[in-house]
Amino acid sequence: MEEKFDCIIVGGGIAGLSAAMTLAKADARFLLIERGEFCGAKNVSGGVLWGSDLARLVPDYWQDEGGFERFVSHRRLTFTDEQSAFSVDFKSDHFKETPYTGVTVLRAVFDEWLAGKVQQAIDASAHPDESFLATDILVEEVVQEEGRVTGIRAGDEVFHADCVIIAEGVNNLLTRQIGLEKEYVPGDHVAVGVKEVLKLDEARLADRFQLDGRSGLTNEFVGACSEGVEGGGFLYTNRDSISLGLVLGMNDLRDKGKTPYDVLNSFKEHPAVADMIRDAETVEYSAHVVSTGDIKGMPSEIYADGVMIAGEAAHLLLNAGKAIQGMDYAMRSGILAAETVVEAKKASDFSAAMLGNYRKALESSYVLQDMKSFQEAVHLLHRQEMFSTVPNLICDFGRQFFTIDSKPTPKASAMMRAAIKRHASYWDLVKLGLKGAKAL
Amino acid sequence: MKFCVCIKQVPDVQAAVQTGRMVLNAYDASAVEEALVLNAENGDPVDLVLVGPSTATETIRKALAMGASDATHLVLENAEGADSHAISALLASHFDGHGYDVILTGKQSQDTDAGLAGAMLAERLGLPYATNAVGLRVEGDSLVVTRQGDAGQEIIVLETPCLVTCSNDMNNPRIPGLKGIMAAKRKQIATESAAAPSARTAVAGTVDPPGREPGVKLEGEPEELVADLIRRLNTEAGVL
Amino acid sequence: MSSILVFCSVQDGRIKRSSLEAMTRARDVASGAGLGLSAVLLGSSAHDLAGEAMSYGAQHVYVVMDRVLDTHLNAPVLSALESVVREAAPRMLVAASTESVKDILGALAVRCDAAVLPDVASFALSADEVSCQRPVMAAKKLANTSSTHSLVFVSVRSGSYEAKQAPADGTVVEVAFTFDDATLRQTLKEVVTTAGDTVDLSEAQVVVAAGRGVRDENGRALVQELAEITGAAIGASRAVVETGLFPATAQIGQTGKVVSPDLYFAVGISGAVQHTAGMANSRIIVAINKDPDAPIFDIATYGLVGDCFTILPLLNAALRDAMN
Ligand SMILES: Cc1cc2nc3c(=O)[nH]c(=O)nc-3n(C[C@H](O)[C@H](O)[C@H](O)COP(=O)(O)OP(=O)(O)OC[C@H]3O[C@@H](n4cnc5c(N)ncnc54)[C@H](O)[C@@H]3O)c2cc1C
Ligand SMILES: Cc1cc2nc3c(=O)[nH]c(=O)nc-3n(C[C@H](O)[C@H](O)[C@H](O)COP(=O)(O)OP(=O)(O)OC[C@H]3O[C@@H](n4cnc5c(N)ncnc54)[C@H](O)[C@@H]3O)c2cc1C
Ligand SMILES: Nc1ncnc2c1ncn2[C@@H]1O[C@H](COP(=O)(O)O)[C@@H](O)[C@H]1O
Repeated sequence: MEEKFDCIIVGGGIAGLSAAMTLAKADARFLLIERGEFCGAKNVSGGVLWGSDLARLVPDYWQDEGGFERFVSHRRLTFTDEQSAFSVDFKSDHFKETPYTGVTVLRAVFDEWLAGKVQQAIDASAHPDESFLATDILVEEVVQEEGRVTGIRAGDEVFHADCVIIAEGVNNLLTRQIGLEKEYVPGDHVAVGVKEVLKLDEARLADRFQLDGRSGLTNEFVGACSEGVEGGGFLYTNRDSISLGLVLGMNDLRDKGKTPYDVLNSFKEHPAVADMIRDAETVEYSAHVVSTGDIKGMPSEIYADGVMIAGEAAHLLLNAGKAIQGMDYAMRSGILAAETVVEAKKASDFSAAMLGNYRKALESSYVLQDMKSFQEAVHLLHRQEMFSTVPNLICDFGRQFFTIDSKPTPKASAMMRAAIKRHASYWDLVKLGLKGAKAL
Repeated sequence: MKFCVCIKQVPDVQAAVQTGRMVLNAYDASAVEEALVLNAENGDPVDLVLVGPSTATETIRKALAMGASDATHLVLENAEGADSHAISALLASHFDGHGYDVILTGKQSQDTDAGLAGAMLAERLGLPYATNAVGLRVEGDSLVVTRQGDAGQEIIVLETPCLVTCSNDMNNPRIPGLKGIMAAKRKQIATESAAAPSARTAVAGTVDPPGREPGVKLEGEPEELVADLIRRLNTEAGVL
Repeated sequence: MSSILVFCSVQDGRIKRSSLEAMTRARDVASGAGLGLSAVLLGSSAHDLAGEAMSYGAQHVYVVMDRVLDTHLNAPVLSALESVVREAAPRMLVAASTESVKDILGALAVRCDAAVLPDVASFALSADEVSCQRPVMAAKKLANTSSTHSLVFVSVRSGSYEAKQAPADGTVVEVAFTFDDATLRQTLKEVVTTAGDTVDLSEAQVVVAAGRGVRDENGRALVQELAEITGAAIGASRAVVETGLFPATAQIGQTGKVVSPDLYFAVGISGAVQHTAGMANSRIIVAINKDPDAPIFDIATYGLVGDCFTILPLLNAALRDAMN
């Protein structure tokens, strides 16, 4: 007889693997299917996994040589105009305590490492031969019978399960196929992320960024670095490489007739960035759609009879300026979806009513709470001022404030007034400031 | 015919960033594919043998998932120092007493490009062999091998038992389906610990190959590109 | 006096250039180590070619004249070389890394109880060690490899050294050879050569290599025309060989041949590591590719961004003019 799983997980990214780990620990029988040659093969990410959920899945993960690249001990936010960079910089020993609050990852390495941990958990579970991680297989269809999801089809093979967790990432074709997502996602709900990995000798990297052991730096950028296109840049340190990239508004890129590649190249030439990546050799370039974190971009519902949607497939992501949080959201939602499967299995009930507990759990977690409370910040970030006027003004002020040129020096407040005059009206700024204060 | 394929786990040489990921040697994957195709009708076994650390089971599972029958894992935790000489000796003792009609190996390891172990194994076992095969056919008790030689393709008839080393130009290995992956996971892999290898060569580390002078990329109208190229070939490069 | 023995591959009635390159290096290494230099030639033309081997410094030329050695079949070749190695008792055996040599090297080493350093880019000999550099990881790295065994076989990638004459007064040593066909257990049925293989790829000064971008017969005609004008040998990527447009003998790369000509045209080739592993040592590389981000441009001396179907006709015409 053909076997039936408790759960089939589509997608071996962060959301899928987190669900799998949770299920393996609960002795469930499941099948995870990833279309890439291995988990992580297809995954693009700038690479900071925020928060501490990883320690829930893999306790003491920091004792492992593999997996993450560096923990974040030094954060910097940089405003740029064409020639200057004005940074807010924070470094603290409290970041060195475990569990870390952020680790940089290279997905090709991290996802495969996590898959290895899941396999170990399967091997240690009550049904080591009845759960599988299958790679290099594309799920083409979610199988539905009488209005409920009963399995998946890959090629001419069909497999059944009590429920399916769709963790397919932002290009959520299967979510659309079962009618939970609109056929067409408006351009302002998605952005494009481009990233390069630049290799730099480990010792030089540690020297250049004043790193010690596995500590690392994250640097976000706004302003001229995106050539006036809505969005921002990032630079993260890995063990012996740098992840450098931009997240750019899809519509704005099109309107301004620019390609992400061009913008990335000019980002690399910005004096502040050029200094940091000198002599580092590009070994990888990739581009990927990324959700903007607009709550309106979420599917109409994230569960139905026999199915739940986790991670970026459900457009769970927050980008409110100080960091992109997609991976931690994927991780938490994967965990919560799997916990719901475990509950449903106990009750032998995989109906929508039961799986609705997944949504409730997400609502009471930081994921949907933060996404809701920071919506205004998300919208504010799309305003032209945020990536032109404001950074220009700040850099202008910085240039005056830090320049000592043997002339009488005005007071800082006067410098600020002068800078504001050159770039914006007081009134607009006050409005923006008020909005910002409210949003954050 | 009873086949046994020697498979090796190698680092993924294609990855831009060194991820430490290990894969099935591409040439061995072609050997497995060819054996499976030749035995598809008759149901004869296609067995596997691998020498390598315990983490290499993943690679054995991959080849089992393609459809191979049984596998032996000769566990050698620190296989780095084992050269083709050492590996072929370990494999030769494994084949002692086995009644395979055909032993297949890859023509070379993707990581070291040594290309020795197959012929060394054949010599140790006293088997007729052919290397760099791009095609195989069974004809009665013989194997007809098409090999890529220096001046063309050589068609050689080998009496069985024999050994053939396979090129990846032979076929495109299948990608295992879900059923194959599941069946492979449930298969028992016979494990034996391998004897200490005796290498005759040693690697003292690697260096980057000498870099090339950065070149120029010419973009623009085709006529100008061509004129520019001819000028540069004449003056700078001096090759015309 | 012990010696370094060089196995000379013969093709079309002459010693392959790559063998002469290996011999030139072996001569330098031998004289540095106070060893003699000898050569071995197989087949019915062996005697006639002994003179050429001597003009590159061979003091003893071992010849095995049996006609069975005129075409490559590994069992008789192994047995002939085994006899020569036993008779010459060299410190090293050096050969060019041709397909025929790759075919026998491992088995011969087992038979003669030798160590092997295959497919090296350079080699040296000190008192008790043969050391070499050989490309690994699809030629992304060079591995420093060595052996302290008393007999070491080395095969050398073509183009690694320059062939230079240095005549020696040599003697020819004919080695007795009998071979019992009954022990063969293999027969060579046929050698299929492709028409048009006029210039040997691994020896060519100019190579025109086609990739998947060359697409069809029209593309092939343009490539052939370019090869004709420049006197080049035609190479190909694996992807285009798979389409059947070019013969497998033309394949250049990790699975195919290694070339290092003075001038290499890569037409419609993306530049995958497995391809560049076989051609990155070419002196001048001209790449024609319509994708400005194709990795081949990272190693090209001159990269032309554009459609080969537009560029080749112009280039062919311009080259014809330039050559006249
Ligand atoms: C340039 C860039 C930088 C980013 N930086 C950060 C950052 O610094 N921090 C952060 O937290 N987030 C970041 N993100 C966002 C983050 O990468 C995503 O939110 C996160 O990866 C979502 O995880 P996921 O598991 O939901 O989806 P994914 O990681 O996209 O995984 C989905 C998986 O499903 C597989 N799949 C899809 N369809 C199928 C199918 N039909 N059959 C089988 N398998 C399938 C895919 O191959 C993939 O492996 C960034 C994104 C980009 C593009
Ligand atoms: C173990 C192993 C060994 C291998 N060994 C070899 C080997 O020995 N040799 C080898 O070549 N490969 C080898 N490969 C395969 C290699 O990985 C690549 O797949 C192959 O080299 C690609 O060939 P290509 O560049 O012709 O094709 P593609 O990668 O498809 O590239 C075609 C290129 O043509 C360009 N193009 C298309 N149309 C035009 C046009 N009209 N004008 C100009 N440009 C155009 C495209 O932009 C593209 O860059 C091996 C692979 C493996 C796994
Ligand atoms: N560790 C190993 N286990 C099994 N087979 C091996 C191993 N190493 C090499 N081989 C076989 O030998 C071939 C390569 O030989 P070589 O290039 O000399 O390493 C491979 O394609 C395999 O078929």
